Amino acid sequence: MSKENWILLLFILLLLGIPLTESRFYVFMGTDILILGLFAVSLNILLGYTGLVSFGHATYFGIGAYTCALLMKKASVPFPLALAAAAALGAVSALVIGFFCVRLTKVYFAMLTLAFSQIVWAMAFKWNSLTGGDNGFVGVPFPEFLDSRERFYYFTLGVVAVSLFLLHKVVNSPFGRILTTIRENPERTEFIGIHVKLFQLVAFMISGVFAAMAGALFGIFNHSVFPDILFWPASAEVLIMTLLGGIYSFFGPVVGAAVLLFVRMQVTSYTEHWPVILGFTLAFLLFFFPGGIMGFLQARFARPGGNR
Amino acid sequence: MKRFLRIASLCSLVLVFAFSAYGAGEPIKVGFPAILSGGGALFGQPASVGAEMFVREFNAKGGAMGRPIELIIRDCGNTPEEATRVAREIILKEKVDFLVGGFTASQGVALSEVAKTEKVIYIAPVSKTTAMTDPGKLHPYVFRAAANTNTEGRSAAVFMAKHPWTKIATLGPDYEYGQMVTKAFVEWMKKIKPEAQIVHQAWPKLGETDYTPFIAPLLAAKPDAAFLSLWGGHFVTFSKQAKPYGFFEKVKVVAAGEGGSPETGMALKDDLPLGITTNAYDVFYYPDTPEHKSYVERLKAYTKQEYPPSWAITGYISVQFLAEAIQKAKSTDKMKVIKALEGLTINTPIGKQTMRAKDHQATRGQVWGTTAKVPEYPFPILRPVEYIPADDLMD
Amino acid sequence: MPDPSFLLLQSLNGLTYAMFLFLIASGLSLIFGILGILNFAHGSLYMLGAYFTHQFVSLFIDAPGQFWWAVLFASLTVAALGAVIERFFLRHLYAREELYQLLFTYALVLILAEFAKMVWGTGQFSVTRPALLKGAVPILDQYFPTYNLVIIFLGPCIAFTFWFTLLRTRWGRKIRAAALDREMLSSLGVHVNRLFTVVFFIGAWMAGLGGGLVSPVSAIVPGMDVEVIINAFIVVVIGGLGSFWGTFLGSLIVGQVYALGILVFPRLSLAFIYVLMALVLIIRPWGLLGRPLQR
Repeated sequence: MSKENWILLLFILLLLGIPLTESRFYVFMGTDILILGLFAVSLNILLGYTGLVSFGHATYFGIGAYTCALLMKKASVPFPLALAAAAALGAVSALVIGFFCVRLTKVYFAMLTLAFSQIVWAMAFKWNSLTGGDNGFVGVPFPEFLDSRERFYYFTLGVVAVSLFLLHKVVNSPFGRILTTIRENPERTEFIGIHVKLFQLVAFMISGVFAAMAGALFGIFNHSVFPDILFWPASAEVLIMTLLGGIYSFFGPVVGAAVLLFVRMQVTSYTEHWPVILGFTLAFLLFFFPGGIMGFLQARFARPGGNR
Repeated sequence: MKRFLRIASLCSLVLVFAFSAYGAGEPIKVGFPAILSGGGALFGQPASVGAEMFVREFNAKGGAMGRPIELIIRDCGNTPEEATRVAREIILKEKVDFLVGGFTASQGVALSEVAKTEKVIYIAPVSKTTAMTDPGKLHPYVFRAAANTNTEGRSAAVFMAKHPWTKIATLGPDYEYGQMVTKAFVEWMKKIKPEAQIVHQAWPKLGETDYTPFIAPLLAAKPDAAFLSLWGGHFVTFSKQAKPYGFFEKVKVVAAGEGGSPETGMALKDDLPLGITTNAYDVFYYPDTPEHKSYVERLKAYTKQEYPPSWAITGYISVQFLAEAIQKAKSTDKMKVIKALEGLTINTPIGKQTMRAKDHQATRGQVWGTTAKVPEYPFPILRPVEYIPADDLMD
Repeated sequence: MPDPSFLLLQSLNGLTYAMFLFLIASGLSLIFGILGILNFAHGSLYMLGAYFTHQFVSLFIDAPGQFWWAVLFASLTVAALGAVIERFFLRHLYAREELYQLLFTYALVLILAEFAKMVWGTGQFSVTRPALLKGAVPILDQYFPTYNLVIIFLGPCIAFTFWFTLLRTRWGRKIRAAALDREMLSSLGVHVNRLFTVVFFIGAWMAGLGGGLVSPVSAIVPGMDVEVIINAFIVVVIGGLGSFWGTFLGSLIVGQVYALGILVFPRLSLAFIYVLMALVLIIRPWGLLGRPLQR
């Protein structure tokens, strides 16, 4: 097995072992990291692989969270069905929003994703009767067969592992290669006969589906859903996570999520000035480590003819 | 940076182990998520100071059963999402059984949920919304030491009804607190003065920076009086923007939202509208009882401020409830403490407060008065001022 | 409800708000048009303008024209800060993709907000209006604050002055050329880098002025940076990034939608602006008066 696969196996064993430490806290952190890691990887499909900067990715996370939670609480829909519905709605909204966004490029693309995310946020914030408005939505029921923290952790691990496996297949498929070609040079790709906008839209939808699933898991995990997860700093936060981990690496965003959550938790225990530390870290990253953590590690330990 | 963090976290781990090996005299940990950043910090920060002062005094007297209380204060941000995350981190990482904190109404609801699922006792020092303690939402672990929106809205209605005004407008922030307190006001007003009419209702969003588009329509409806529920910085902004319109001369104002706090008076100074009726949680110049005077002196010394903050009392009383309940129960067992809290009456610096057993709310009234300039202080205060008890207005 | 004097008043309110937005948004638009950077931190510069004004007002106690001097000094301080940021940090990111520049300005938002908190604390501040302008002007049968009226005229004057100086002078021409083709200009011996710093300085100056001028009207609180930047974005998108008249038009539209939207749909006014922004981006992405981009 290659070196990378050994490391992966090690990680998986580590993750499987976390509940055995009997620490409610580690299980809590672990679940959080897995969910946000999936969210960040879904963003990276757009960012790292297709070269599209979305400033509104929190939209799909939020849609997934609200859909799943609302269906389970208000309509007593069983969890697997609610989860599927969340993913489906994520796909549909990504299709609609993406359709308009991919017609633009660069800054305008980013601004439109931001505009749409604010619209969805405003809807969640104001639609008191459906979403609970600014109070959010508390008392999301835990699915019965998952009613312990540890079981939910294993379930999340399973879902995230399967999702990452699927996404990995996607990015290493011919479709995935076309995406990276588009990222490198959209005009040239258009010349060789690829319908660039269509591919971008499909990438948009795929990332929307998995972001929605992450959101659905999050809603259950948190027992509550608030409109803040749709507010634009949430989109900025997942961008930072992805960048921190490394946008040119598949697992980079997961690493970024883990590091960010861990550091934030540590720092907030000592000081209330977390935002300034985040700001400096981000600036530092942008100037000196554009490839993120994984980029840095890969450069350090690169083999000749290195790969991804 | 990373190295520093690694070393720091190692040190903290060592300390934690050292502490837990302590045995008897082991501190009772109380999580205290407070708003320490953003717009709410003006009130969140003094609230945490008040809690700290109480804990210091309590521990100096021996604590509960010989154990000191340890407050774990963290910034819970301005949103319920952040408050939830921070609270859960405190609970799981520090393994606390007691939580005091949160600030906005939405945060109160969110933390109540956290308390329910994590099974920790939660006392809300500030969140007023009745949604936390309504039947159906109430659960054994949540308590409120703050006043509630019924008390506040209805007290305002009582004041309003004393005057011959019949055309009334309302202006409140369009979120849980604003909606609930205005609703309480309107319903009580209809009850005690049926001839009063609500001629206009304005709903700027929470955190609005430009109230002028709301001011003109309100004035156009020509009300005699208005009920406002803006608080903190929002009230400051509104006052400044409304003043040139002659708003406060044209419309008599009764304002909920603690516009009478010395903090607001000091921030607005000459821009504070005079002659309006408003409230506060505590004012350092009233009441004149020995307990209150002593409290104010201690607060002055502790905060090193000439005019100590009024919000400190919210943190103070909340932790006092918890500490005395633990003492009464002679244990930190959660069920016993809950039982001890129910019906508990404590002697606070502002008089006796009782935590009702039936709905876990304290009989917390507020101080109401009319703003006026006085020679003794460089900023306007409430004069005349009185304490309106909550007992008849809470349900 | 439709009482003409009241509608006029409401409209004037919208106009005042529009002028504050215009000051900030035109700086944002200028920086984007010339440097190609969407400056997230523009709202933070605005906030610092307000905080510094408050600071200088307390420094210049009882001086004649105290308020105006404070605003001038505060905005210049902010402008200098902007120049420093551009010269020592932003400049190094020009060669990189837009994402990096964008995220750097976001990092600045975090840093500057915390800096303001550390210096001035989390309390709320207010600046009193200059004595001359404290009153109100009767309009039909309502009153409109004098200060607001002054802003309605002052705002565009300031912005016009900046923009036309930029566009009609030699410096102005060089700057516009630099926006179109940096390399060519630099090979002609022009100090393009210095030009860019000047542009950033001016954009920051306008933001600082906006913050200073708004300080008597609005509470100076943490969080005002985030609030204003989103609205400024909406203005420049609607009007067209990089277009002066577009920004003006965009500010007017946003101001009026805001003021009059409250009358029609009081509780949905929040979403209106975003819907408008989305519509413009969908139908005419380069804004109402912008230039169609080379895709």
